[in-house]
Amino acid sequence: MLKHWYQAKKIVESEKKSNIEIDTSNVKKYDVVVVGAGPAGASAAYFMAKQGLDVLLLERGPFPGAKVCGGTSLIAEHTHKLFPNFWDECHCERIVMQQAYWIMTEDSLLSTSFQSLKFTAAPYNRFTVKRRVLYQWLVDKAISAGVTFQCNYKVSEVLFDGSQAIGVQISPPQKKQFFADIIVLADGANSMVAEKSNLVPRVSPQNISLYVKETIFLPANIIEERFQLAYGYGSVIGLMGYPTAGFNGTSSIHTFQDSININVGMTISDFSISGIRPYELLSRIKNHPFIQPLLVGGTIVEYGASVIPEGGYYAIPEIVHPGLMIIGDAASLVNGTHGINLAMWSGFFAAQAAYESKKKRDFSAKKLFLYRTLLDESFVMQDLKANAKIAKLQQDLPYLFDLYSKIANETAFQISKVYTMPKKAKRIFIFKKITSMQPLLKMASDIWKVIKVVRG
Amino acid sequence: MNQFDEQLAVVCFQPDEEWQHVLILDEPICQKCKAKQCLTFCPSGVFRESTEAKQPLVVLYKQCVECGGCRLICDNIDFSYPKGGYGVTFLEG
Repeated sequence: MLKHWYQAKKIVESEKKSNIEIDTSNVKKYDVVVVGAGPAGASAAYFMAKQGLDVLLLERGPFPGAKVCGGTSLIAEHTHKLFPNFWDECHCERIVMQQAYWIMTEDSLLSTSFQSLKFTAAPYNRFTVKRRVLYQWLVDKAISAGVTFQCNYKVSEVLFDGSQAIGVQISPPQKKQFFADIIVLADGANSMVAEKSNLVPRVSPQNISLYVKETIFLPANIIEERFQLAYGYGSVIGLMGYPTAGFNGTSSIHTFQDSININVGMTISDFSISGIRPYELLSRIKNHPFIQPLLVGGTIVEYGASVIPEGGYYAIPEIVHPGLMIIGDAASLVNGTHGINLAMWSGFFAAQAAYESKKKRDFSAKKLFLYRTLLDESFVMQDLKANAKIAKLQQDLPYLFDLYSKIANETAFQISKVYTMPKKAKRIFIFKKITSMQPLLKMASDIWKVIKVVRG
Repeated sequence: MNQFDEQLAVVCFQPDEEWQHVLILDEPICQKCKAKQCLTFCPSGVFRESTEAKQPLVVLYKQCVECGGCRLICDNIDFSYPKGGYGVTFLEG
């Protein structure tokens, strides 16, 4: 009886195999196919080719960076370690010498700002860059290292032999298939290739944020004048409170060479529940009495929207599969304002794992798990772990940004305002004012929750 | 021209005339849907209400900026990225 069962099972298994109508015998097979030519994909392709692997890099847009937008600051140290002296090669818009946070209400603005000449010499700290330029530079590097690059190729799904990933299917009009020992998915946030191939679950709308941006043209000298910058230097400003209209979220201003990028975003679920139109939220910020003067006279050169994974450590899906690795935004590797550096490093680690696998001719998940191990041991996962509870905190305290921006501004206002009342009475007055906005015990509990998250 | 049209007018598109990448799966569901979150959520106003009872929503897929958020807020929206080379093109970062 057992024999019968075994034979029946064997037939089913052989049928399963014959179901796949893939003939790999006379097609060129690559060592690696990388899906998506962003910072993660292009870095992975570059480091793989440098180690002698035969790599195909696919991009669905007409050029790298065509499908994504949003102000970007490139962090010098992380990038420099992968691409030494990258500032000599990649065209950066401005060297960031000023970093600021503006905590805002509808009529007030409390700012903390830091600027230093220490940031203006190598090894620098941050640069503002245009995505198109950065991505193209990375892809050019990859191509000169020997990578085959194809744009206008959209991957619809991963091809499998059993559970082993063996190639990718290109959607029409090309309808081609490409085969490789290793598939690397770097198709960005909202990774539909991984989801359609049943490798990861659908992202929760609470764990992914929608950002809308506008690029506003202004002459370089006007930007420097308005932001009080020296020639060629830039600033990155984070805006909190007012910009997200009562929800937790952030907004930012990036200064480019001759334009300003202003963006705002919050989670997709907050946008859908609130009924706020994303572009109206952006217009609302632009009309703020302290933002409007910065933009006056400028012309809108581009509007856009993009999504960013913000679920943090706990939202990271299974990123190593047989013959397949998921890197960058597709793997949810975003930590606060850090995304591009995590993406590039994940590409670098994936390249190490791919090389080791190729050496041993072993493309199992177990062998490729080296990628995850390297990530775990690096700043990527360590930092994500340290901030792991932030996403949850923002869900638990939906009023966090809004209320405390208001409290901070109210306190600053009362302190700045000169009263005729005696100082001691004023102090009591301010205390009562603040505790009327949030009772003392509630405030203490919120602060405790924040401290707990920061301490990890 | 209102402000939103101004914003949209500066975005670069290469629309695919042959194939629509954002679809409503089942029209009757939209007829019954009271929330219609897609109408406010979409950053480029792809979903518009129509006066026709049979087809309550118009999908202006040619002005989609491909954030892909709609598929996460509504199961009745079938979103996939446009074919290679088509759709929005961002130039300014």
